[in-house]
Amino acid sequence: MNEMFQGILSWDFIASGIRVTTPILLAALGALIAESAGTPNIALEGIMLISAFIGVIVSGFTGSLWLAIIFGVIVGTLMAAILAYFALKLKTDIILAAIALNIFASGGTIFFLAMLTGDKGSSASVNSLLIPNVTIPIIDKIPILGDILSGHHSITYVAIVLIFVVQYMMYKTPLGLRIRAVGENPDAAESVGISVVKTRFIALMLSGFLASLGGLFLSMGYVSWFARDMTAGRGWIALAAQALGGLNAFGVAAGSFLFGFTEAVSYSLQIFDIPYEFTQSLPFIITIIVLGIYAWRKVKASGKLNVSNSSVGPTEK
Amino acid sequence: MKADKRFTLYRIGISVGIALLIGYIIVFIASVPSTDIAFMKKMKEAFDSANEAYKYFLTGALVRWRFTGAAFNQSGFIQWINEAVPIIITGLAVSMVFTAKQFNIGAEGQMFLGAAVATAVAIYFPGIPFISTLLVILTAMAVGAGFASIPGFMKAKLKASEMVTSLMLNYVAFFMGLFIIKTFLRDTEAGSLVSLEFQQQTMLPLLNERYRWHIGIFIALGMTVLVWFIMKKTTWGYKVKLIGDNIKFAEYSGINSSKMVFQVQVAAGAVAGSAGIIELLGYHGRFLWLYSPGYGWDGIIIATLARNNPLFVPLAALFLSYIRVGAKIMGRYTNIAPEIVAILQAVIILLVTAEAFLAKWKQRSINKEATQSETNDTPVQVGEVR
Repeated sequence: MNEMFQGILSWDFIASGIRVTTPILLAALGALIAESAGTPNIALEGIMLISAFIGVIVSGFTGSLWLAIIFGVIVGTLMAAILAYFALKLKTDIILAAIALNIFASGGTIFFLAMLTGDKGSSASVNSLLIPNVTIPIIDKIPILGDILSGHHSITYVAIVLIFVVQYMMYKTPLGLRIRAVGENPDAAESVGISVVKTRFIALMLSGFLASLGGLFLSMGYVSWFARDMTAGRGWIALAAQALGGLNAFGVAAGSFLFGFTEAVSYSLQIFDIPYEFTQSLPFIITIIVLGIYAWRKVKASGKLNVSNSSVGPTEK
Repeated sequence: MKADKRFTLYRIGISVGIALLIGYIIVFIASVPSTDIAFMKKMKEAFDSANEAYKYFLTGALVRWRFTGAAFNQSGFIQWINEAVPIIITGLAVSMVFTAKQFNIGAEGQMFLGAAVATAVAIYFPGIPFISTLLVILTAMAVGAGFASIPGFMKAKLKASEMVTSLMLNYVAFFMGLFIIKTFLRDTEAGSLVSLEFQQQTMLPLLNERYRWHIGIFIALGMTVLVWFIMKKTTWGYKVKLIGDNIKFAEYSGINSSKMVFQVQVAAGAVAGSAGIIELLGYHGRFLWLYSPGYGWDGIIIATLARNNPLFVPLAALFLSYIRVGAKIMGRYTNIAPEIVAILQAVIILLVTAEAFLAKWKQRSINKEATQSETNDTPVQVGEVR
């Protein structure tokens, strides 16, 4: 038992938790923006995967880190724009369109990987680049604080900053106000002159932008290659983290850290003969329970206010 | 109404056509040789090999190409039919839930866990023909229904989005299923992680020994008729449809919508639960999935293509498995990876479900029809469809 706590409480463990959290956090912030606009983006998984792929391929074939980042972000945002175009302009069901994009990402990356490298499993033969870690000058000399605060991946720092940026944008800027207005009541927003389609388009593209950073982190930081389906459900976990945190960036960040650290704990617990399958399904079980409790409290609260309200909306969003 | 249906058919046809065209362009680009030869010669070579690849892709499931000519491809045909079986079943399950305008992304997990638990019965229950087979399938259905009751309950009673919960439960089902196989049912003699072999008598009867054509297709078609009957001919099915069409109206007419939402999720879970084990009983004879095979996701594609009509589900499933088998055969003869099918699937789903795709054309043709019936003296244009 003592060993276990030592394993969990070590500074390495915290660093690993932060590393695992980074991609989830970025995608979850994207989920937050999309959800606020009333257009849930469940294509995050596929967007991350495509960006991870593009980052590796572009850096491997051009040797330029900046080109890789730029293309990774552009393609990820473009995927979200395609989703937005189909959902908003062509009136495709947004969930089905997102499922289509996820299928495209999963199969398409394997297809193009095989076409470009001849290998279907991973990009091992491609000499791709890494986005570097950042050492913060003075802080890294301070014993414990330095271990926790310094030496992380650049995108991790970007992600942390983005928590505040997203919160500020959503609640202090006209764009955030418009996004929330469109999400809460599109008709009312339209009546005061806000273009619902345009605002949702922007919100979805922002969510794609954030998810694509998460994807780049996966293949150019977390590991240094692309492997088939390497996102491994992180896009879905991000949606769960958003569902836990609600429409508040700090809440969403807390949800993401919960998932990230549960996963990190699950690695540590493997040493203690706790089956891998149990620890792996833990984050999902936690989400279901927490969602259940949330929903139950909501039902209770609304029951007090309005007893006659018994409608069950079919997929409201 | 009639024009509407005809239009849907056009849209599906055009979507499939566009998808095949995009696929051809990708195959063409992938076929451009990297050798240093004249541009026109390169294009010619790419054109030839792309045509060759597409020949295998579009006909491979039925035709075996030899130097002497073409022959019927028995193994391809059987593979085509066999691969359609599980996705017909998940397609039915998803279409039931979609009819009630609910979401069911959980079919994948229901199918996986159902198959894993039923594997225990298939291994240990004495092999009595028919009876033990039925018992195995019913076990899988019960597990699927039980697992589907969780998101069903949470939606009906707690109003928690069934989308998120069923999604999360997919992972739980996957890890639980894998754990069951690994811990209790593993064949330790085998090199990879597979279960012990099923009882011989429990397996589905075969129509063709060599390529293992099993009777699963008839089970799937039987389920299709059953689901069609329940959804279209019974009061219960009508209630489900009413909820999907207009939940407020359904409630005003006295339908307990929470109860119906729960029931349809559980019924669909039972159907989905049987999808995996039927394939294992017919073809593999043991549990061997290390990754979730994705039949639940396929079910979503199929229900969408079939417009949630159970009778169209087998057609959509046969279409999907046809292009998949074709792609695999293409992959065997050329260097085009069969995963290209995923790209085609994505394009088809996007276009088929795009309500506004070609809507202008539709509106124009409706308008034209209307103005023509008004005046009735405009001459009929050449080639016009009335």
